[in-house]
Amino acid sequence: MKSKIITAVVALVIVLLMGMGYKSAADHRAHSGTDGSFNVKETIFEHLGDTYGWEVPFNHDKSIPLPVIVWGKDGLHCFMSNRISGGETYDGFKISTSEQYHGKVVQVLDDGTEYRPWDFSITKNVAGLFISAAIVVLMMMSLKRWYVRSGMKAPRGFKGALELVFDFVYTDTIRPIMGKHAPKYAPYLLTAFFFILTMNLLGLVVIFPGGANLTGNIAVTFVLALLTFIITNLSGTREYWKEIFWPDVPLMLKCPAPIMPLVEVLGLFTKPMALMIRLFANMMSGHMVVIVLVSLIFIFTTQFSVGVGSVTTIFSMAFSLFMLMLDILISFIQAYVFTLLSTIFISMAIVEPHAHEAK
Amino acid sequence: MELLTPEFGLVFWMFVAFACLYFILAKWAWPFIIKSMEERADLIDKGVAYAQEAKSHLDNAKAEADKLIAEARGEQADILREAAKMRNELIEKAREEASEEARKVGLAAQVSLEQARKEAEKQLRTEVGDLALQIAEKVIRKNIANDDAQRALVDQYLSEVEAKN
Repeated sequence: MKSKIITAVVALVIVLLMGMGYKSAADHRAHSGTDGSFNVKETIFEHLGDTYGWEVPFNHDKSIPLPVIVWGKDGLHCFMSNRISGGETYDGFKISTSEQYHGKVVQVLDDGTEYRPWDFSITKNVAGLFISAAIVVLMMMSLKRWYVRSGMKAPRGFKGALELVFDFVYTDTIRPIMGKHAPKYAPYLLTAFFFILTMNLLGLVVIFPGGANLTGNIAVTFVLALLTFIITNLSGTREYWKEIFWPDVPLMLKCPAPIMPLVEVLGLFTKPMALMIRLFANMMSGHMVVIVLVSLIFIFTTQFSVGVGSVTTIFSMAFSLFMLMLDILISFIQAYVFTLLSTIFISMAIVEPHAHEAK
Repeated sequence: MELLTPEFGLVFWMFVAFACLYFILAKWAWPFIIKSMEERADLIDKGVAYAQEAKSHLDNAKAEADKLIAEARGEQADILREAAKMRNELIEKAREEASEEARKVGLAAQVSLEQARKEAEKQLRTEVGDLALQIAEKVIRKNIANDDAQRALVDQYLSEVEAKN
């Protein structure tokens, strides 16, 4: 009983302190903001989007500098992001505040207009990609090392979990669907699965190695979907192409007006498009909900009082915890769904003619 | 709409990162991991099959052992029965032999007894005859011991006496 009272008091104090912290943070933000109020939309899109430096916890002004690599009108330029972080101009380059190129590096031309150069910068998201890729390589190499060293013994601990996931994806999903083609396509599918899974989970970690909203960025899912699209259509058999341009439907549906072929050709593009949008929307919305829930604390603290903010904190934290739990689940599900659907699309493209006749 | 337009730089780097990851993993990790896991799965399958076979062998061995034991028990019972029969036969035979012997012994005893009795009778007869003759001699004061007629007479008398008895 006594310990419960102590816990309650400590919790209350923490919540009040947090509320005051939020208040000061919000005030600070409000003062620095252009219109004098906490800009929710800007905050949300800043967190969902890409930045040139990697922000550190508890300090909004400082960030880990990352290289900016741009191909401007006058050739290649490389410099660290901290040179242009505070709206400064370096070597003719600055981060734009204009409507068109908001938040992007632009070259200020002699006549004062902004020119958007080819931007190969190692932004936060690019660095996140490399970190994720490195983590995947480390994980898989550690699993491989286990097999080299321990031979037939079953791995324990993290490697055991890794093997379980691997087994689930390869032995229980790819192999039954692909059959004898599995070894040919498994490397792509497995790479995609583990890369997506790592990016998803890393996106949920809020501080440095994580925090980049990778799979919630359409560029990342676009590349993944594009790869599936290319592999699917490059490995398409004659039967697959015949099914698209001359499908097994009544003649009326394909001869005078090619209705079904049109639908099938459309299907070629909608399938990877759905892959791209599904992963992107799922991951982005998860992040967005958590950010909105946290932003609620700032909004209520600036609008009303510290007390209201403190109460909001409790609910916001509870809901964001729930959302983050859900996001962990979604991370697995979406990585799996992407792999599963890619597997199915590719296996549909490598269909054999006799398999069709047997139907 | 900023979120929905893919940024060229990120697409480029994503492609590079994925390609690097793919080549590293496809070359050094995936084939080896798949092979190792399949080998282990095969090993486990083989182990299970082997264990099942061993178990069936064991079960068979048990049945065989039970059969052997049952057979041995049967044989043992047969042997015991045989032995009991033989024993009974032996006892029977011995008993027969013994009774035969006893009968023979009894017969022999009877014969010898008869003989002894006859001997005794004979002796008695002789002695009684002698005695009677002596008595008669004394009565007639005359030695008629050697008189065969007398002796025959006495003998006859004695036979009569014996017949009366």
